[in-house]
Amino acid sequence: MKAQAPDPRLKATLQAFYEGWAAKREASFRGLDFEALRETLAEIKDDAIAKQDSLLARFTERAEGHGSRVLRAKDGDEANRLVLEILERHGAKTVVKSKSMVSEETRLNAFLASHGVEPRETDLGEWIVQIAAEAPTHMVMPAIHLTRQGVARIFAGHLGREVPDDIPALVRVAREELRREILSAPAGLTGANALIAETGAVMVVTNEGNGRLVATAPPVHIVLTSTEKVLPATSDALLLLKILTKNATGQPISSYVSFIAGPHRGPQYIILLDNHRSELRADAKFRDVLRCIKCAACLNVCPVYQVVGGGAFSHVYMGGIGSLLTAWIHGLEASKELAGLCMGCHRCDTVCSTKIPIADLVAALKEKLARETGKTLWKRFALDGVMGHPALERGTFIAGRAARPFIQKKGFARSLPSWMSRYDRFRALPAPAPRPLSALFRREKRKLAKAAAPVKGRVTLFPGCLVQHVYPGVGLAALRVLSRLGYDVVLGPTGCCGFPPWNSGHAGAARRAFRHVLKRMPADGPVITLCPTCTTMLAQAGPDLALGRPGAKEPRLADGGDGAREDIRAFAGRVATFSQFLARHEKDALRRLLPEGRPAPRVAYHDSCHHKHVLKAAEDSRQLIRLAVGAGLVEMAGAAGCCGFAGAYSVDHPEVAEALLTEKLEAIGASGAEVVALDCPGCLLQIKGGCRRSGRAADVRHTAEVLDSALGRD
Amino acid sequence: MVSQDLVGRFAAGAVAAGAEIVWAPDLGAALAAAGRLFAEAKVARALASRPVHAEAAASGLAVALPADAEAIAAADAALVTADFGAAETGTLVRLDEEDEEKLAWTLPPLCVCLLDRGRIVPDLQSLAGRIADHLARPGIPGPQVSLVTGPSRTADIENQLTIGVQGPARLVVILVGGEGASRP
Repeated sequence: MKAQAPDPRLKATLQAFYEGWAAKREASFRGLDFEALRETLAEIKDDAIAKQDSLLARFTERAEGHGSRVLRAKDGDEANRLVLEILERHGAKTVVKSKSMVSEETRLNAFLASHGVEPRETDLGEWIVQIAAEAPTHMVMPAIHLTRQGVARIFAGHLGREVPDDIPALVRVAREELRREILSAPAGLTGANALIAETGAVMVVTNEGNGRLVATAPPVHIVLTSTEKVLPATSDALLLLKILTKNATGQPISSYVSFIAGPHRGPQYIILLDNHRSELRADAKFRDVLRCIKCAACLNVCPVYQVVGGGAFSHVYMGGIGSLLTAWIHGLEASKELAGLCMGCHRCDTVCSTKIPIADLVAALKEKLARETGKTLWKRFALDGVMGHPALERGTFIAGRAARPFIQKKGFARSLPSWMSRYDRFRALPAPAPRPLSALFRREKRKLAKAAAPVKGRVTLFPGCLVQHVYPGVGLAALRVLSRLGYDVVLGPTGCCGFPPWNSGHAGAARRAFRHVLKRMPADGPVITLCPTCTTMLAQAGPDLALGRPGAKEPRLADGGDGAREDIRAFAGRVATFSQFLARHEKDALRRLLPEGRPAPRVAYHDSCHHKHVLKAAEDSRQLIRLAVGAGLVEMAGAAGCCGFAGAYSVDHPEVAEALLTEKLEAIGASGAEVVALDCPGCLLQIKGGCRRSGRAADVRHTAEVLDSALGRD
Repeated sequence: MVSQDLVGRFAAGAVAAGAEIVWAPDLGAALAAAGRLFAEAKVARALASRPVHAEAAASGLAVALPADAEAIAAADAALVTADFGAAETGTLVRLDEEDEEKLAWTLPPLCVCLLDRGRIVPDLQSLAGRIADHLARPGIPGPQVSLVTGPSRTADIENQLTIGVQGPARLVVILVGGEGASRP
């Protein structure tokens, strides 16, 4: 990997940037319906992508009518050659540039420099990283990784004189230098935020005003952009603008927006780059990626980006969306590291300007990568070998329990040997429970039945691997709560739902695991899970996987008796987490059952990624906990921050996992909470192990355990 | 009638973006206000763009027409005009500007813009048709449209907002007209 040791200063900078951006973004969208706006923009972009050929033809006709020369480039090499030919034709030995991601994509600067032409960036951030000979680390804020002192050193080295390290002075220096460059340049190159077919105009958005100067002052103007930027109408471009600037920087609008239709002081060339976008457009599964408008909001909310920065999490394009663009533009192999860094938390999906399902597409990319470029050895063993075969999975946990006397100490596994310490130095790993949930469930249920017979219907409890084998107490707590509410609780299948292999791109193993579980599910009644990630798999990813396979047969469910079938989508509709189910159906009943004078410990709730960002159920759990402990529920800073577990991710990227967990533990400490409540057994493992390792006293509990305690034992 | 609500929203949006607002009942008062702004800022070399140059010069302001880029960059201030204002964002909209005018908006450190209060619309979408019609107009040089909201800004160093990185450090909008100002 390019970066395995996160830089704490960079992390602090990115965190501070995120906090400022999030507040400004929220204010800029106040009074607007973000969901409706992005839905409309997504539809416009989809339609434009579908009609791209005719829109580009129309744009070209209109732009040429204004006197522009429109050129098409098949790939980056051709685009670079076209730029060079234009510059040579006009005798230009330098070219000033405003920010253009497409020119980064084609590595234009290096190409021009190797042919004797000096490219000069004029966006302040781009100029800083250019003269520092570094790469941009953010698509909107290229020099976000540098301090003012660092920038002063870079300027001093470039200019050969002392430069003060206060920001206004640095900006004044940049103004003088950049202005001199722009006014004397023989040619200017800009990108485009949109191409408007109805008028043949390009839209260029900047805050500094350099885009406007670069397009106006030099005698030759080159627009280097890509084909998917075309939109039918001016009103579409204005809608894009309305979302773009708010999502990118939290501003209601950028300072300068120019619509330019045709040349002015001299010739204007518009180069439209394809660079494998046609192939992406032809791919029904991945086509949505072309809706990206490069606002970079997805980066700002990405927990991995906040830890490692754009230097590590990029191959020109950054983050999860970057992995997808890279896979087509720079090749599948180049996207491997990026896709592997995505933990699949789905935060990006919630802010994307055009509603691209980024996390699911990265998961699909991982599957493509595993299929076409091979799998890592440990994952072949663990995911294909063990999790893809339920009997082997059971056997592995049986072996783990047998080894318990040798590996456990106070419920946790003994520390790993020093050469493996990167996996457990920040969290104590749990030992398998002495007995699995399935061995304890029936006895507990008999005991409960003696107290009160069920009066409501039957529900199926799906525990997931961790509750079955490591935290059976969570399953028993859920059984007690549901039984007190009058339900007849049956234990569903205890195998893996298929998520860990699915999230690593091992589709075959995931499909096998999912179908194994599905076939053992009762044909009707609610299915209550104790894990939001299992819920996502059972209700969303699994059905997609099973139904998406060409020629797939509908699976048969276990107790259909005569082989009754159930529509897999109807099954998906029956699945809910414990908290979702109770919040929807049992709040009043719970309120009646909760005893007066019960203890009300100080509880902080941790949002698990899938629970909050996929199932949108964060408030459900808070409602339940508020019922249980009243004012004892406190909000901790960064409650929605990822704990860094993410299944196999914390094995692949333990340093990222450690950085995220450290932040979470600090927030828990600052909250003064006695109990940390959560809904995901994976988060439970991570945070409980982290508290153990760091000596924190907080008791980490599943929401089911919190409610069970509040209800008390009969 | 001019909607006071629109004018107020425009002013609030512009101020939020870092612009300054000056109120003037008519063009004469607006040019006088521009003169005071130039004097306060100790402007030695001022420009006035073509649509307002004659009136500005007639009112006694020492202003030149924007010529080449070097001369425009050497000016301390520019007096320009906007065709519309968009209240939602405090945005100035200029149609059909010449390159010299575009540079006059951008290069001098002080930009003073006249905007008829009656030409403020609720938002940019309200102008989509006008902008599209303007950009579709044939001819060489081709048509342009600029949207300008507040002065030039950057946050590229340590995410700290700094004004005036490439364009003007001050953008002053003089809202011209009273209740009876013309409507677009």
